[in-house]
Amino acid sequence: MRNWTRLVQNEWLKLTKKRSFWVPVAMMAAIAALITFMLYKFSSTVSELGSGASYLAGMWGASGMGQFIAILSIVGTAGIIAQEHAQGTIKFLLIRSRSRGEIFAAKYAAVLLYTLMMMLVAGAALYVSGGLAFGFGSTGEQWLNALREGAYGFVYSTVYATMAFMIGALTRSTGVAIGVGLAGTMFGGLMVFKDFYKYVLFPNANLSVYSTMGPPLPGMSVGFSLIVLAVYMALFLAAGYTVFRRRDMA
Amino acid sequence: MTTTQSGKPAQAGGEEPVLRLRDVSKTIGRKTIVDKLSFDVRRGEIVGLLGPNGAGKTTAIRMMTGLIKISEGDVRIAGRSIRSDFKDAIVQVGAIIENPEFYPYMSGYDNLKQAARMTDSVTEERIAEVIALLGLQEALHKKVKAYSLGMRQRLGIAQALLDRPKLLILDEPTNGLDPAGIREMRDYLKKIAFSEGIAVLVSSHLLSEIEQMCTRVVVIQSGRLVTERAIGASGIGQERPELRVRVDRLGEAKQVLEQLDGVEVKETREAEREVIVLAADGEMTTLIDALRGADIAIYRISETKKSLEDEFLQWTGGNQIA
Repeated sequence: MRNWTRLVQNEWLKLTKKRSFWVPVAMMAAIAALITFMLYKFSSTVSELGSGASYLAGMWGASGMGQFIAILSIVGTAGIIAQEHAQGTIKFLLIRSRSRGEIFAAKYAAVLLYTLMMMLVAGAALYVSGGLAFGFGSTGEQWLNALREGAYGFVYSTVYATMAFMIGALTRSTGVAIGVGLAGTMFGGLMVFKDFYKYVLFPNANLSVYSTMGPPLPGMSVGFSLIVLAVYMALFLAAGYTVFRRRDMA
Repeated sequence: MTTTQSGKPAQAGGEEPVLRLRDVSKTIGRKTIVDKLSFDVRRGEIVGLLGPNGAGKTTAIRMMTGLIKISEGDVRIAGRSIRSDFKDAIVQVGAIIENPEFYPYMSGYDNLKQAARMTDSVTEERIAEVIALLGLQEALHKKVKAYSLGMRQRLGIAQALLDRPKLLILDEPTNGLDPAGIREMRDYLKKIAFSEGIAVLVSSHLLSEIEQMCTRVVVIQSGRLVTERAIGASGIGQERPELRVRVDRLGEAKQVLEQLDGVEVKETREAEREVIVLAADGEMTTLIDALRGADIAIYRISETKKSLEDEFLQWTGGNQIA
């Protein structure tokens, strides 16, 4: 296990040692601050929020900044397998005394860490800017709401980052992985009012709707969505791993 | 006499070969890229893997390192199967497959650390040791994208040596290097093979390089083994070396030599006044005595050594080499 965490460390360094690493991080913070400022200045409804934590609760999920967090997470991590192929470093990676499973798992762990980091950067920027705009005095209930929305936002970003991760493993193309991941986040906004659609990934990814607008389709609930999402993510990972493990690295 | 598990007489002090290929094949669809390839590499040997374009060298090397699946047969590294015991087999191998590729945005040191974190036993001291061995100190903290190809090759060897492998596999290691870089590489390899006692398998398209570097060559073509032979010892597999005898009277010399048993006259060359003969070492005295007995002056006797390139073209039927 200790040895496996060193593989995760390797993957994390590959993501963060790039000079372009800071671009999405800075962008995330700047856009969160900018949106807060615009809302504070021009919107009449949000000024009733009263605190940074309740502002955070409204903005952290997929209905707020969540889609943007997901997009940046996808862009940051979609190349994690494809890049190794493009650089030729996949040979360097796979001729060590490590199974392909360990390496695949370490890469996925780095994807989750990156997504979590983007969530935290967004959360910090939203809370600080929201606090400055609406005051820092937050109640415990507001914090609980914020944390729940944060968790929902993390689930949302993770679903699409996992999808892009799988596509990267299947196609060895960063561009295709990013494209499919982004297309996925866009399909989330479409709604097909047929019963079968509740078993499709997209209407289930945004768990925030249950606390604001209610179930997108009859018969859906948070638990239902979580099960559907878990099944899809398991399929994505199984498909990606199967291909990665069996592929001839020529 | 000790015997190995296979029951064959043990060689080289009874050790299991560091690399053993047995009937290794790779088929993709109906196409056979490597066909029942078998050979061994032992401790302290530098073996050249030669073959014309598309002979299957790189495919063979990728199978040895587990990058592509073996369709049939097995590769054993120090007795461990790369198919069924991958982690224990590959831990004995250091390799550069094709070009030495690194994370360009990281320094040489960071890249070595990446390699070190993937093994269990590499310490900071060992990293410092290979850095010193390959003279990488000065470029260590520069980003790899600023490295010359020669520097990248050295870094490649450094990462390959980190975990003290028993087998070093190098695919085209002198590709793109300048003459100084090639000589440097050659010297490192000899040093490593002899001082650290590890086995080295090198594929290269530069035959003269292989000739100067390797103790043995394995030649493959169309995925099959063509020949396997030692370099430098012309006697092996060639009991009667080819000799050029320069004399003053060619016609008489030819007649005299044709009458000797154990000496075969291949041809005469008028311009050089040379008889080309095949004669075993034991026939030399007879040959000289016979010529002297006929009062024929001998100016020179020399062995015609074919260069590796000549032999290679002979083995592979004159195909272009790559």
